[in-house]
Amino acid sequence: MEAAVTIGPPGAPPDVGAAELPESEFQAQLVAALPAAYGYALRLCHHRADAEDLVQEAALLAFRGRGGFESGTNFKAWYFRIVTNCFRGRHRQEQRRPRTVDFDDAQDLDLRAASAANGVPFQGDDPASLLIDRIGTERVADALARLPDEFRVACALYFMEDFAYHEIAEILGVPVGTVRSRLHRGRKMLQKSLWRGAEDAGIVPARAGSPGSEVVG
Amino acid sequence: MTPLGPFTCEDTARRLDDYLDRELDQADMQLVREHLERCAACAQEFRFEGSVIDNVKRKLRQIDLPEDLTTRIIAELERGKAPGT
Repeated sequence: MEAAVTIGPPGAPPDVGAAELPESEFQAQLVAALPAAYGYALRLCHHRADAEDLVQEAALLAFRGRGGFESGTNFKAWYFRIVTNCFRGRHRQEQRRPRTVDFDDAQDLDLRAASAANGVPFQGDDPASLLIDRIGTERVADALARLPDEFRVACALYFMEDFAYHEIAEILGVPVGTVRSRLHRGRKMLQKSLWRGAEDAGIVPARAGSPGSEVVG
Repeated sequence: MTPLGPFTCEDTARRLDDYLDRELDQADMQLVREHLERCAACAQEFRFEGSVIDNVKRKLRQIDLPEDLTTRIIAELERGKAPGT
């Protein structure tokens, strides 16, 4: 687990006032964080060009606001918060993601139960691994992209970087309990979204009628 | 205490996500672990859920940083330092 994050209020750049990170040190930490930040940004934006623009915009804001970063704390988490804030700012203006899954609370779908109910092998050494492999990387990414924004952001932080709940809470500027509920709910939504993607691709049996007609779990 | 330990299947299911994420306190971690050691159905559920998480992580993390992105960003920072920008 990494050190605590000290971050200014949402809407980067962060506070100014602490001893400013030397430019060379800032650059070294930024370069080290970029691969992870780009991966996170891509899972948020779902488009490579948008993800590149997002990490670049966030890098510039971080550079200008580096006085708000406290040396010795978690630079990656600090930068991720800026990336998240930039994403939120941009995303309010361009709602172009596909949203094809109904995430109604009453219609949870559990992959294991759905597999059992639809004749997909769900026993053996590692049935989930076989199922996810069949679904494939692109459809897994699509499934995440279909989640509502706040669930997608929390899940992207969780799945991409192994941040602990309290670190995600600091990045998002919300209480740990909110992170817990978003992750728990988001993971359920993701399972439903994965199953719908697998149905659409013909990997698992499609339900009779229109998508969403059968509720499992 | 039941043969499945102090936690019922419901108690365990309610804590499964936190258990998988190691976000329970030590006492609850131990009680869930005890239940999973004794309940084959919950243990199977636990293995499935854990594997979904691990495999989704594995798939989502298959990303390479675009070759020139770091260079472009550093250049942008340099431009950002220039007076009047």
